[in-house]
Amino acid sequence: MKEKDGTIDCPQQQVILFVEKEDGKYEPIQTGSYLTKNFLDDYELKRRHLEESLKKQVLLGKVSPIYYFMILEDLTLSELSSRAGIRKGKVRKHLEAAHFNAIPQETLQLYADVFNITVPDMLKILVVTSADSTNTNTGS
Amino acid sequence: MNTIPYKHKMAAHCESGAVTSLLNNAGLDISEPLVFGISSGIFFAYFHKMKSFAFPTFIVRNKPGSIRNNLAKRLGIKFHAEKFNNPEEGMKRLDELLVKNIPVAVQVDFFYMDYLPEWERVHINVHFIVVVGKSGSKYIISDSYFPNLVELESASLRKARFAGGNMSPKGFFFYPEYIPKEIDYKKAILKGTKKACFYMLKIPIPFVGIKGIRMFARKIVEWPTFARDTEHLSHEIMKINILLEDQGTGGAGFRFMYATFLQQASVILGKPEWSELSKEMMEIGDGWREISLFAARIGKNRELGLDRLKELGNMLNGRADVEERFFRRLKNSI
Repeated sequence: MKEKDGTIDCPQQQVILFVEKEDGKYEPIQTGSYLTKNFLDDYELKRRHLEESLKKQVLLGKVSPIYYFMILEDLTLSELSSRAGIRKGKVRKHLEAAHFNAIPQETLQLYADVFNITVPDMLKILVVTSADSTNTNTGS
Repeated sequence: MNTIPYKHKMAAHCESGAVTSLLNNAGLDISEPLVFGISSGIFFAYFHKMKSFAFPTFIVRNKPGSIRNNLAKRLGIKFHAEKFNNPEEGMKRLDELLVKNIPVAVQVDFFYMDYLPEWERVHINVHFIVVVGKSGSKYIISDSYFPNLVELESASLRKARFAGGNMSPKGFFFYPEYIPKEIDYKKAILKGTKKACFYMLKIPIPFVGIKGIRMFARKIVEWPTFARDTEHLSHEIMKINILLEDQGTGGAGFRFMYATFLQQASVILGKPEWSELSKEMMEIGDGWREISLFAARIGKNRELGLDRLKELGNMLNGRADVEERFFRRLKNSI
């Protein structure tokens, strides 16, 4: 790759790219991320849609907030179990809305630590906003 | 506590970057591509189904930890390394080393590096950063993926060093303890290259090396069966670009850095044919870059039908063919 082809203006995310300089030598340059520069809006759109869809499932009582954050953070049940230090069978139960209210505070804290949020932040998604009601009612 | 005088430099990859940076700061003049090449960093493996991954994925470098271990073995460098079961003990030990002005590379879960933008941060337990000081409740960090030295809260570093899950860091850290005065780079380069050729051509594992690229090419058409919906599939297809470019590779899934290694090695070894091979590897990298851009484009446009995925598979097969020829020639030139 020639240096001119690798130069991308994206101060939000800098990366090192190895390129061919004019003298034919291959060297590193500090440049921007192609993906972030061109497609960050698409990533954010998909993330928003995923959050809305998961929140709707939580509000309809189909899944628990633990499931919401597990999917958002791209974790598998096995990974979440290992990271939180909670048996897989228990985690499986905790992903269901029906069992969520019975989860002790200390266990919620273990999950919150994995998701790098506070327990109140985790519970916030159970609060219905006017936008949520509209979304839930219209099924959009 | 003060910051240890430390020359921070961005690098293509976190592990080769941390190793290079520690060695440079300890007085050894070695480039990141040489570290990468000598340690047989170039690699490919495809994982179609694994418990710890939510979706099929691939890697383009050797096993985490191998860069440090292989380099140490081949150059005669000694790294001091420790692991901990107890987080308090692990944090205390780190502080003790900082008081002694020893910069330390630590293994962390990338997710807790809160100085990086949110969209970059994923749970991956094999990120390496260098801790170069502490100020109050914050540690001073040299991260290859960030342009300057940064601060990280002690609580975040602790969570990151002691995260559970696949390849859990267990507080692992290392720093160079001994660097020989005389180093035989020629022998190390040849050994590292020979091993890289073995990984790419001969290793008897069906999802590793050239066989792994071909498996990826074959299996990509099955990706829609793993996806929740079109947007999920689009996200995963666009992650091909992240894995090849943004997730610390120096571009084209480490192929540009490997081309740079071969160019530098051709001078050290006095082998002009390696200069030709380095050009060839740069061109191979251009083909991987095309795959990255293609994946980003079809992901963004939601053009994710079978025909497009087959096209992607064909492009991958093309890389497998040229890399097979390339690594055979490289092997024969050793």
